[in-house]
Amino acid sequence: MKTYSYKNSQNLFKRAAKVIPCGIYGHFSPAPLIPAAHYPFFAASGRGSHFKDVDGNDFIDYMCAYGPMVLGYNHPKVEAAAAKYQKSGSCLMGASSVMVELAEYLVDLIPVADWAFFAKNGGDVTNYAVMIARSATGRKKVVMVGGGYHGVSPWMQAPGHHGIIEEDYRNIVRINWNRYEEFERAVNENPGQIAAFIATPYHHPTFVDNELPADGYWQKVQALCNREGIVLIIDDVRCGFRLSMGGSCEYFGFKPDLICFCKAIANGHPISALVGTGALKGEAARVFFTGSYWYQAAPMAASLACLKEMKRINAPKIMLEKGKKLLDGLVKIAAGYGYNLKVSGAASMPYLRITDDESLMLHQDWCGECTRRGAFFTSHHNWFISTAHTDADIKRTWAIADEAFKVVKKKYS
Amino acid sequence: MSIDLIKANLNLYAVIQNLEDLVTYDREMAEMARDWNISIQFSVAGGPRAHIIFKDGKCTVGRGKCKSPSIILFFTSPAHLNRMFDGKGNPIPLRGFTKIGFLTKKFPKLTEKLEYYLKPTDELLKDKKYLEMNTRFTINTAAFAARELALLDPVGKMAASHMINGKVQFKIYPDGPGVYIDFNDGDITVTKGDATKPMAIMNLMGIKTANDFLNGKMDAFTAIAAGDVVIKGQTSMLDNLSLILDLIPKYLS
Repeated sequence: MKTYSYKNSQNLFKRAAKVIPCGIYGHFSPAPLIPAAHYPFFAASGRGSHFKDVDGNDFIDYMCAYGPMVLGYNHPKVEAAAAKYQKSGSCLMGASSVMVELAEYLVDLIPVADWAFFAKNGGDVTNYAVMIARSATGRKKVVMVGGGYHGVSPWMQAPGHHGIIEEDYRNIVRINWNRYEEFERAVNENPGQIAAFIATPYHHPTFVDNELPADGYWQKVQALCNREGIVLIIDDVRCGFRLSMGGSCEYFGFKPDLICFCKAIANGHPISALVGTGALKGEAARVFFTGSYWYQAAPMAASLACLKEMKRINAPKIMLEKGKKLLDGLVKIAAGYGYNLKVSGAASMPYLRITDDESLMLHQDWCGECTRRGAFFTSHHNWFISTAHTDADIKRTWAIADEAFKVVKKKYS
Repeated sequence: MSIDLIKANLNLYAVIQNLEDLVTYDREMAEMARDWNISIQFSVAGGPRAHIIFKDGKCTVGRGKCKSPSIILFFTSPAHLNRMFDGKGNPIPLRGFTKIGFLTKKFPKLTEKLEYYLKPTDELLKDKKYLEMNTRFTINTAAFAARELALLDPVGKMAASHMINGKVQFKIYPDGPGVYIDFNDGDITVTKGDATKPMAIMNLMGIKTANDFLNGKMDAFTAIAAGDVVIKGQTSMLDNLSLILDLIPKYLS
């Protein structure tokens, strides 16, 4: 099997590093792609479940741009909807009617939602949600789960990180995932002070196995929040529409007060949404929150088309089934080489780890070997499955994985 | 925990351990210390203790007390010790009055040479031998300082609390030097050399790259992507350690 080289990517990176901090910053930074030499840094085009890099290498994409791609790159219905508004004017002096249509659609689609608000990034709406909770309760403190990711605002980042000061996290209470008793203790130790509990529907941190909620966890959390007047915020930025079209709370059987969506909501077009219960609509109206491009019509049209198409085909079911098929095969191939490939999290956005080497070096090498053969895997983060991944993709991925296992088996034995 | 106390720990446990390598790798210093048979105890009221032993041409630096030291140097406070390291104060000798000549004439030659290697200039770094020595001392100082900061500095403690058990290896690739930090249920030990079964590795590709990286002339993300720094394993350990290492300039210039 041919292995890829990345001359153009590396040359572009050298140019980027001269004029851009880190060259490529944030979650697209090549730093966690290990070994970096096995990964492309710059993409050129995408179609369906594949993307091509600037060296012309073709990849089956199992990161889906870290989640936004859900129906396949350049999906015709989504792109046509966006193009219509791009042509007539996407950023005009006034809101577009498509904003109302999208809000109405979300309110119909998501049982918890009585209203919807639009921004650009996941972090916009997690911030807005917390502001609404503080405004509604008159309280300062926010409980969150250690290792949880809600964006890059100072209060969301872990203490000690650059640019973060003590005051930024003074009102943040961190607890461990799935430990209801810790949440109860936090509430008891801060009586009348907790404005919100924010968490992802299940725990999907980087570098470690992902964890689904324990039986009854969310129901107990919801009951305590309701009793104590704490706003329950679900950060569905990553899981949203990959578990259920009604929000991941439907999948796990509970009802939050606010849900934050982004990523899969518009198949790569820049938009995020906060939806909430009627009880918080007035408070949401009182909190001033906006941005220069938040009224762009094209991403709203793309989102509406994307959501309709996902609903039509029952996208979460497809992704969960495709994920299961892919993963069952990979686990079997790994076992054939004597390796235990552990899968955690939902099949539509699984985290994988070869448990035979706790340092992760073997796993990193395997992911790198797969990537340089055309199946784009990362070792530090959960993967994403889209509805565009085909049976042929999965079959090809198994062949790549098999050869990569052969390579690492030789190296590590 | 006061800044002076943390700084005193860094001076005693991260800086002076470099004397071991100075006597090993600098020919002039090796020759000078070849016949020394003497031990020095540093004792700080309300602060750290360390000792230096010169014997059979080797220098060994250790934590705590040593048995029957030839010389005991007392400091009334961590700030007093730090003043000496800054060249603005003198210790109080409690034992070894007959060895004052060693303290005032011989030993300072060693510490002056260490200071020379620890304070690089662009001009000095053009010299291959100097570059090599400065890089060796910088990587070791950083690793030993990381231990102190992970245990004493508030931000360091927070970052260290996220560490899983295991060894983090730093190495100038391919021939060294290397140093590794072993995290084990809250205990932290630093050892010069190569670790067996490290949990995370950071290889600095070549001495010049290593020097630039360690002296903050290169940002980590760019260096990793460009292949100048190669990381693997539990890289979240490297992320946390990086936050700890970034604290060093707060205490040591």
